[in-house]
Amino acid sequence: MKNTIRQVFHSSKFLVGFVIFAFLLLMMLIYPLINPGDPLQMIGLGTFARPGTYVSVYDSVGTKPSTFNLPDADANRLAKILTAEDRVNMVNWFTAAGVDITGLDTQDTPAMLKLWKANYSSTVRPKGMTKAMRNYYERLNNAILSANSASKLTVSEPNADTGALEEKSEIAKSDYVNVSDVSNVKVLPLGTDNFGRDTLKELVSACGTSIRIGLIAGAIATLIGLLLGLLAGYLGGLVDDIVMFFTNIFTVIPSFVLLILISYSIGQEQRGAGTVALVIGFTSWVWTARSVRSQVMSLRNRDHVNLSKLSGHRLFRIITTDILPYIASYVVMAFILQISSAILAEAQLSLLGLGPKTTEIPTLGLMMNWAMLYSAHLNGSWWAYFPVILTIALISFSLNLMNTGLDQVFNPTLRD
Amino acid sequence: MKGYRKYFGKKLLWFVITFIAAVLLNFILPRLMPGDPVAAITAKTAQGLTDASAVKAIYEQYAEQFGTKKPMAEQFFIYVKNLFHGDLGLSFSQYPRPVSDIIRSAVGWTIALQFPAIVIGWLLGNILGALAAYIRKGFDKIIMPIALFMSSLPAFGLAVILLVVFAVNLKIAPVAGGYGFDMIPNLSWNFIKSVIQHYQLPFWSVVLVAIGGQAIGMRSMSIYELNADYVKYSRFLGIKDRKIVSYVFRNAMLPQVTGLALSIGTMISGALVAEIIFSYPGLGTAMLQGITMSDYPLISGTTLIISVMVLVATFLLDIIYGFIDPRVKAAQFD
Amino acid sequence: MGKTILEVKDLTTKYITRFHEDVYAVDHVSLKIEEGKSLGIAGESGCGKSTLALSLMGYYFPPLYYTSGEIILGGRNISGMDPDDVRKNVLGTEIAYIPQAAMNALNPTRRIIRFIEDVIRAHDPKMGRKEIFEMARDRFHELGLPPEVLDRHPVELSGGMKQRTVIAISTILKPKVLIADEPSSALDVTSQKMVIKMLKNLMEKEYIKGMIFITHELPLLYNVTDDIMVMYAGQIVENGTAKQMVFDPLHPYSKGLMGSIIVPEEGVRGHELTAIPGTPPNLKNPPAGCRFADRCKYVVPACRVHEIPMLCLGGDRCCRCGHSESTLREAYAHERK
Repeated sequence: MKNTIRQVFHSSKFLVGFVIFAFLLLMMLIYPLINPGDPLQMIGLGTFARPGTYVSVYDSVGTKPSTFNLPDADANRLAKILTAEDRVNMVNWFTAAGVDITGLDTQDTPAMLKLWKANYSSTVRPKGMTKAMRNYYERLNNAILSANSASKLTVSEPNADTGALEEKSEIAKSDYVNVSDVSNVKVLPLGTDNFGRDTLKELVSACGTSIRIGLIAGAIATLIGLLLGLLAGYLGGLVDDIVMFFTNIFTVIPSFVLLILISYSIGQEQRGAGTVALVIGFTSWVWTARSVRSQVMSLRNRDHVNLSKLSGHRLFRIITTDILPYIASYVVMAFILQISSAILAEAQLSLLGLGPKTTEIPTLGLMMNWAMLYSAHLNGSWWAYFPVILTIALISFSLNLMNTGLDQVFNPTLRD
Repeated sequence: MKGYRKYFGKKLLWFVITFIAAVLLNFILPRLMPGDPVAAITAKTAQGLTDASAVKAIYEQYAEQFGTKKPMAEQFFIYVKNLFHGDLGLSFSQYPRPVSDIIRSAVGWTIALQFPAIVIGWLLGNILGALAAYIRKGFDKIIMPIALFMSSLPAFGLAVILLVVFAVNLKIAPVAGGYGFDMIPNLSWNFIKSVIQHYQLPFWSVVLVAIGGQAIGMRSMSIYELNADYVKYSRFLGIKDRKIVSYVFRNAMLPQVTGLALSIGTMISGALVAEIIFSYPGLGTAMLQGITMSDYPLISGTTLIISVMVLVATFLLDIIYGFIDPRVKAAQFD
Repeated sequence: MGKTILEVKDLTTKYITRFHEDVYAVDHVSLKIEEGKSLGIAGESGCGKSTLALSLMGYYFPPLYYTSGEIILGGRNISGMDPDDVRKNVLGTEIAYIPQAAMNALNPTRRIIRFIEDVIRAHDPKMGRKEIFEMARDRFHELGLPPEVLDRHPVELSGGMKQRTVIAISTILKPKVLIADEPSSALDVTSQKMVIKMLKNLMEKEYIKGMIFITHELPLLYNVTDDIMVMYAGQIVENGTAKQMVFDPLHPYSKGLMGSIIVPEEGVRGHELTAIPGTPPNLKNPPAGCRFADRCKYVVPACRVHEIPMLCLGGDRCCRCGHSESTLREAYAHERK
């Protein structure tokens, strides 16, 4: 046994899978300590905030600034104003107005601006340009002009008594505040989802829930499969026929269909995460049962089993001492695969809207569902779905890796 | 051929029994749902009506029509009788469109997508796995982890990624649907071209995941066969390696066919969810619609059809296996 | 004194384990087979018999590697030959092998006649199907096998039939030497007899010129082979004619083997049944001196010091023991009292 464990941990595939999985588990446990709170709490308003660090504008105004004179500050400001689309449009204007643009690099902001300032005039009306476009160019020009001005910004507050705006402070272009001095800074590594929830916090919590569902469902499925496989394989005869009958039916009627029917029948109100885990567990034991059964059948006629039978040992004892140790390796591998498929099954269920209740805890499937419902994939909010897919894939991948590693330890022919 | 009679007979009997069980389950389970679907549809139809007796009359009419007042056993017999006529009831959400009509228009799309995708995925995956087992060395060490990762990706995950990369960003594939929104199904070249364009992404999501899974399985099977006694013996007799390789792969394919039969349920399920991502007009979307609209005749109908599809596929695969494995034929003579 | 068809001189081959250790499973083995004669190789499991067989075939696949020595077959030294050359011209045509547990040696999904076609075509690509079928049918008939077998798949044949089919296929190209590795161990007694009869038939009809019969069942060897060789821990410890080895073994190990037989054979009946205690040494670190020392009743300190050479006592009888012949015989005589 100890030797087996040593071999298992020597297998590179198992180790890599184990490390990935352990990392995910650790994240699950540690992250809530760093960032406590309800993962379903909506902190954003509106939809899909991009990942990044969000600094309270109100508080930065009140914070004491330091002065910096950075050489590229103006250029940076202007570069932010000129989007890629704007640059293309500027070139179009130049072309339409007959400006010589040889050698012009659209990414070279100062050059672009110089050419613009030298040539732009609202009076020029290139042929074929609509009024809307001309308005657009006017606005663009104004934005460029104001960005370049040397004016300061003034902060005004309404007077408590009169309601009139009173100047409170000024903000110079050279004023910078240290982020750590600002009282309210929110780091959102994965932005927010459509409900305005912190995606990373949600993801960590969802990962935990999904893994838990996977563990429970996997355990149930493995237990049922083990029990039925043992009974069918060892007792044979009528018991075998009955068990195989049910197994075959459950193979052909996809467990997915059963899941859908049962989940739907239970109704949204009853579907907590635990219930979903139970349902998945009770519908996905088929593969394990079949696998255990064939193993037990080949063991049934081995000499040591016959010896025990001859010695008059009771059925229970024969099964636990003569058969279980030999199939232990298969059961462990089956368990790992069941966990993996259970997590996937939950994700698929949730995508159909048949997953756990949406108001209690997030699961990976639910997050996917929300992302899809609110078209995250179509409006470029990759943080809402891509990390979820990656997490599902990583969980599945790490479990499969561990399984392959174990397989190589138990079946030496598969070793490299 | 005579020898096959026992084998086929058994499989056919099996098919019939499982079909009956599928029908039973599909009937019973949705009806265990709490709540009254007739009330739901009444509420929808009677929106705005304030006269209580009118609402009740509508309710009674629907209850009569959907037969929810009769005892369960009687409902079942009516259900089965209707089934033989191809009548799967009327959809609640698209009332009064018959469920069989909805399914009929969806089934074709699903089969056209999944059948080639699964078959091609299976073939390519097996070839890849066989190559990895034969060449080993560097090729194997690279392919294996990639294939493992591909098979760990859920089909809908790959679907979303492909959608975002190719449809949204690169704009070389359409985003949704089975054909252009502005088109009406016909047999013109334009339409067919549009269908093919819309077909690409869903197709590749299913194929790539299938390849991953099959490659892993075939590789293990091939390695196992490559170490078999008959390989050594054939070598001892001077048979060329190339010939031996053909032995090995032909033998390794056999369990793969059985494996396909066992896992086809899962593959189809995965593909259905992928269909949903693309709003592909197949059974997946129909089922989703049924669930979101609490349309249980539709749900019941789609799940039944899906079960039947898997059943038929498994049956066909069993028969094919009987032909290709000489051991089956030999066992008939016992 | 017939023509020597196979001569092995000081053959040494090794296994390299996963942890890069060398295990010399065949350690300086020499033997000779003359035309028309058969040699039996006896020994415990793990003594190197099967590895010797593989080495003789030139079948070196990792982790088995050739180290040194010569194998001269039909005048040619095949120990250094190019593997492709070996495959085409040696395997199957000059020397053939019947594996242990032939049940699994045949491709389960291929018909026997197709397999025979593959074997023959691998050496003679031009032979036609009809020709092959006729040759196979005639050969099977001569060897006492029903020709219907040709059309069957291995799964349709019984264990004994499979074994005999394998023998027929292995010899279809009339190899000079046939190596049979425990050909009858997995069979019932009737099948065993049929297998041995078939092998003798092959020798008589000169389909094979010489045979090596590997087994752990000594009484079998007495009835089948002309000479017997006993192997222990990768080395030959004694050889001689069958009669000599069975009735008058010299080496303490051979004597022990003979003493552990339950057999109603005449002349050997009445001996007390003894077992040889202990297990063979680990070949990763073979002991200095005699490898049998730990289990030998007659061991003296001198046995463990030097490598024991093979001592030939005339008439092709050799023994690898530290004691002289007379010392051993005295000790044995003493025992009997």
